[in-house]
Amino acid sequence: MILETNRLEYLYSSGQTIRFPDLKIRVGDRVLVTGRSGCGKTTFLNLIAGVLKIQKGEIDLIGNRFSSLRPTSLDQIRADHIGYVFQTLNLIPFLTVLENVRLGIQFSHQRTSKVPEIEPEISRILSALGLPKNILNRPISNLSIGQQQRVACARALLGKPELFLADEPTSSLDPKSTTEFVQELINTFDPSKQAILIVSHDPSMVPFFNTVIELDN
Amino acid sequence: MRSRALPLALVTFTLMASMVLVLSIDRIQKATEAGFSQSVSGVDLIIGPKSGSIEMVLYTVFHLGQPINNVTMKTVNEIESSPDIDWLVPIALGDSHKGFRVVATNLPDYFEHMRYGGDLPILFSEGDASSKISAAIVGSTAAEKLGYKVGAELFITHGSGNAIEKSHDDFAFQISGVLAQTGTPIDQAIFVNLRGYELVHLGWQSGTKVFGVNNVNIESLPDHALNPKTVTAAFVGLKSKFKIFPFIREINKFPKEPISAIIPGVALAELWSIVGLVESAFNLLSWMIILICLIAIVTLTIASLDSRKREMTILRANGASLFYLARLVIFESLVIGLTAVSGAVLFVTIATFFAEHQLSSMLGIKLQTSFLSLDELIVFGIILGAGLLSSLIPAAFVYRRNLHQGLS
Repeated sequence: MILETNRLEYLYSSGQTIRFPDLKIRVGDRVLVTGRSGCGKTTFLNLIAGVLKIQKGEIDLIGNRFSSLRPTSLDQIRADHIGYVFQTLNLIPFLTVLENVRLGIQFSHQRTSKVPEIEPEISRILSALGLPKNILNRPISNLSIGQQQRVACARALLGKPELFLADEPTSSLDPKSTTEFVQELINTFDPSKQAILIVSHDPSMVPFFNTVIELDN
Repeated sequence: MRSRALPLALVTFTLMASMVLVLSIDRIQKATEAGFSQSVSGVDLIIGPKSGSIEMVLYTVFHLGQPINNVTMKTVNEIESSPDIDWLVPIALGDSHKGFRVVATNLPDYFEHMRYGGDLPILFSEGDASSKISAAIVGSTAAEKLGYKVGAELFITHGSGNAIEKSHDDFAFQISGVLAQTGTPIDQAIFVNLRGYELVHLGWQSGTKVFGVNNVNIESLPDHALNPKTVTAAFVGLKSKFKIFPFIREINKFPKEPISAIIPGVALAELWSIVGLVESAFNLLSWMIILICLIAIVTLTIASLDSRKREMTILRANGASLFYLARLVIFESLVIGLTAVSGAVLFVTIATFFAEHQLSSMLGIKLQTSFLSLDELIVFGIILGAGLLSSLIPAAFVYRRNLHQGLS
């Protein structure tokens, strides 16, 4: 078992409370969380990534119970076991593609140990995601949004973290590119070691996943 | 760092400029103090009538005020014959010329022995020191203000006033040399031959002229007639510096006349401590600049906070520890701080090297081409420390707030 959530609830500052369904993710799972805007998809993902502090309920990631962890330990757990593609991508604009992707393993010995040769591995992932080879040393700010999304995915995939999370990774892509991108993503991930959890409101993604959870509060 | 190259370069430059100011003020302060205490150099002792050391230094070095008593030449000659004495130059004060004080002394001996600003010789911008009885040498400021050149004649006035009836208008001194600027009281003085000075006072008794010397045939006067009876003080050089203190004790116990000896450097330092306000003003100025430096660092840190917070939050989201983030900003601060310090030291050292001669000849300030003193190191340490602490603000921010706030 990679991830298990139990009776998660989140109270917003507006006073609204959202109860999330219990979730169990095993190796090889491809899970899609859908739902209309404002139903709490991103909050759910942020709780699972340890970016938001859990208020009620429990999350267990490969034996690590989030409620008992300090924020700094949670940061390390995330670095070691989760690759997260944020909705806002969160790439550092003045770093090159190579430097941004490398950030994915820079702070995790565990993930670094899984990558014997960093640069060839980054090139391999970027090619698998449909990016040209000469992109490595270009600054992020010179890239299109679609290319930036692929770079963010490459960062999350580098070092084969057990759980790959992505928040609306295709929001700025047209339907054809969306299909290509998801196909590339699924081809790149290793189903014998990893699981995917993606949040999206795009119904065209449903066929690529073996579990679909619809949030509806 | 490279993403913020321009703002970082600007802050490094601002810091460097502030540090250049701090360094310059500190060095000028020290050099001014050193220059002040070296207004007269090369002189081991000043011997004069019994009085306080500050009083004696005021009238012999700064030509301020009037000596109450004189020293007889008999005593001066007796002291000069002491085996410890290397050289002795008497001076007589009391007269003036158009507001500038007249120093009567042995010419050219005075300029051979006297030094200023450490070990700088007193140089002539025009002419030289003649040994003629009518010789006069004018300080640079006096010459400039009075428009005097070599060959011009001047009459000295009895006392420090300008009263015509007190003028020694029966004997003209002729300028044989004009001195180069020294930045010391020498610039404001007019030096005349001591025997000439004695000559103009021949017909005077108790400050009143009894007869003029215009009809006196100088050649017919016996040699001893122009030997001064009394002088105001004497500058002394000893054969060995080790003899200074025993010699002072000897002078202070001189049985035949109440006289005293002072070490000019010590008396000048004493006087400087009285003028301590200048030093406090310098210190205040330095601390104000340091404060501005600190404000500059904190302002930049706060100004760059937003972009830094986002960058750091992304790093944290990827697992960067607080230690890593702290190390990152401290390294950056150190690079800025050390670049500014080295730039400032380099700039001031080069500027000192080029301005050294100009400053010493114009203001008598002798800047030392030195690297960093302990005081300066402490000040820079404070500035660097404050820079490091303020650079930790964004890192602390990132760890204090919820991670998702910085990522949305």
